Amino acid sequence: MEAIASIKPETVPAASVAAIDTVAPTYINGSHALMKALLAEGVDTIFGYPGGAIMPVYDALYDYQDQINHILVRHEQGAGHAAQGYARVTGRAGVCLVTSGPGATNLVTAIADALIDSTPLVCLVGQVGKKLLGTDAFQEADVMGVTMPITKWNYQITDADEVPEILAKAFYIAQSGRPGPVLIDMTKSAQLELMTKPYVYERCQSLVSYRPRRIPKQEQVEAAAALINSAKRPYILVGHGVQIAKAEDELRELAEKTGIPVATTLLGQSTIPTNHPLYVGWLGMHGNYGPNVMTDQADVIIAIGMRFDDRVTGDASKYIKQAKVVHIEIDPSEIDKIIRADAPVVGDAKEVIKALLPLVKPNDHTVWRNEFRKYDAIENETITVPELTNTGGKIRMAEVIDMLSKKTKGEAILVTDVGQHQMMASRYYQFRRPNSLVTSGGMGTMGFALPAAFGAQVGAPDRQVVAVIGDGCFQMTLQELGTIVQNKQPVKAIILNNNFLGMVRQWQQLFHERRYSFVELQNPDFITIARGFGMDGQTCDERSNLSDALDTLLAHDGPFLLEVIVEKEENVFPMVPAGASVSQIRLK
Amino acid sequence: MTTYTICIFTENTIGLLNRITIIFTRRRINIESLTVSETERKGVSRFTIVIKHESREEVEKLVRQIRKIVEVMAVFGYLNDEIVYNEIALFKISTPLGSKSLDVETINKEYKAWVVYWGLDYVVIEKTGNDTEIFEFFAYIKQYDILEFVRSGRVAVGKTEKGLVEYLPESEWAYYL
Repeated sequence: MEAIASIKPETVPAASVAAIDTVAPTYINGSHALMKALLAEGVDTIFGYPGGAIMPVYDALYDYQDQINHILVRHEQGAGHAAQGYARVTGRAGVCLVTSGPGATNLVTAIADALIDSTPLVCLVGQVGKKLLGTDAFQEADVMGVTMPITKWNYQITDADEVPEILAKAFYIAQSGRPGPVLIDMTKSAQLELMTKPYVYERCQSLVSYRPRRIPKQEQVEAAAALINSAKRPYILVGHGVQIAKAEDELRELAEKTGIPVATTLLGQSTIPTNHPLYVGWLGMHGNYGPNVMTDQADVIIAIGMRFDDRVTGDASKYIKQAKVVHIEIDPSEIDKIIRADAPVVGDAKEVIKALLPLVKPNDHTVWRNEFRKYDAIENETITVPELTNTGGKIRMAEVIDMLSKKTKGEAILVTDVGQHQMMASRYYQFRRPNSLVTSGGMGTMGFALPAAFGAQVGAPDRQVVAVIGDGCFQMTLQELGTIVQNKQPVKAIILNNNFLGMVRQWQQLFHERRYSFVELQNPDFITIARGFGMDGQTCDERSNLSDALDTLLAHDGPFLLEVIVEKEENVFPMVPAGASVSQIRLK
Repeated sequence: MTTYTICIFTENTIGLLNRITIIFTRRRINIESLTVSETERKGVSRFTIVIKHESREEVEKLVRQIRKIVEVMAVFGYLNDEIVYNEIALFKISTPLGSKSLDVETINKEYKAWVVYWGLDYVVIEKTGNDTEIFEFFAYIKQYDILEFVRSGRVAVGKTEKGLVEYLPESEWAYYL
């Protein structure tokens, strides 16, 4: 029988959660079952936004406020990105709670972003009542259909009895194997109706059809070790998977034992400290010069937890043709997807490296490693030093990041948005601790940083979180300033303001004959906006004031917005032009 | 172009057809035919999808992407000589008074097709076989007035000694796991 809105289970006293557990057997409604399931999964934080079709869950949440911290965002996209930031720094699933229709569709960008960057999310979405499904009811959208291609798994709950089992599956799927977003669409009737059986929750440990392989096959490990031991010019490429697997120590041990140089992808940054003698820089379109060029000279590439994104490979048909490839990856569908692997190893990066360590021979590749340093010298002379030693003109983005890096001693969690500032932040921040870069890699989502920084700060309250944001990106989700202020999170945000959509402008300059088509922004007074939300801030327009401004930002008690007016037409180099091979990387 | 028959074993859940076909759509691979039914194991469905492709490598990638779907238990990709397969075709043939009479003996003996329904002025003929056999029969029968023609998707079983469900859930795309 369809439950109606007036039914409120009498067995569920609104006043106290403890009382619920003492009434046994308790036939609770779907919403309370959901709360209990979240608690069973150890969820302490939810990012959400209420609405009609999720109100029974919010009603239940009222009873659980002591145990679950619900954070009211300003837009559902903010909930998604905040949950991503939270998930990235904690390694646990970020949880979003939104209503049906527009609530759910507003989450879509964050879900797609989380899928491509392997971020565990559990998105709980309200849906119209079971009887109204498919009738184009108020705020009904086919969220299952919409999110099917961008979730790791999704499911529509139409019956309160399904809640415990489906929630257990959702958390297991989101957090295991290659992590990803899971969406649970829950009809309002399922939220309201009583379960027909006593609530029992069992955490999911395995599924018949989904069995990610954590422990690698020994023969695959042996084949990989043999290839590594035979290499004259081996090269380790590290992706996000190493940090997801918390395999930073094992990676370092592998590199140090074998003496192999290590480069990272964008999301792999901070896996290994940037001052480690074996670290040679980062790869990709705007990565470092040496690491890109040298991929074409290695004889064995050891790719760990990375997926050969086109921003890393450039033209994949010309990429590392000379090298044998060891590909270590938990997701078997990534093997041979872009680059054929000579020795694929399917498994969790930590487990694979642990299995490899006794099989690889100690080695010293100093001569080979020094080859990288020649390119470093060229990059330094041509790009880095000139960018950091300006005396005239406007402040350069590189100077801001370099100074920020020194003032925070490379210890902060850097959250970046997408564009030139993102690349500059990656180039010039000297990471010292693992898991310190939160950025939108695969999807390249503008508007990511502000809410993600908030989520990261909630997830890592003991660390300093600094968001580096472009003026264009900021205006996509700036309403989340309100969330930051309301929740008293000490997020430090830096807007690098060049009054342009900088990266698009750079491409237009280089590849479209400076035809600057709709990239110039007339910006608002960001500091007045921040103050309107109750956040302090200041603008820095002079190089001579930059150091003091950064000190003020970092020392401020509570959130702070620093706007730095930077050089208007600055370009990010090096650069591998789209579709070119990595050896065609440009220095200017 | 090579014909591949992809057999997918899944949990029997709502919406899975969508999830699977999206993978073909994203890679711009056309599905020639698709059939779904429950297997001898309760709760386990079997999809049989036929595609044509010039690159085995791309088909292998496709299979791995399908395997990635949470509810998918196993995926097997076959070439034609590795399977026994058939389709069913129904032909509705106009037979009004005074028209050329059907040569039922030829239809039965030569083409192994059967009249399965006699209407007042039409008959329905069923032909089971692979696509070549069905189109051979089509070429023959088109001398009569074909009112309707419909083919099912391919159904196929592998030429292995064991049933495919025997491989569940342990079976994998063996090379990779």
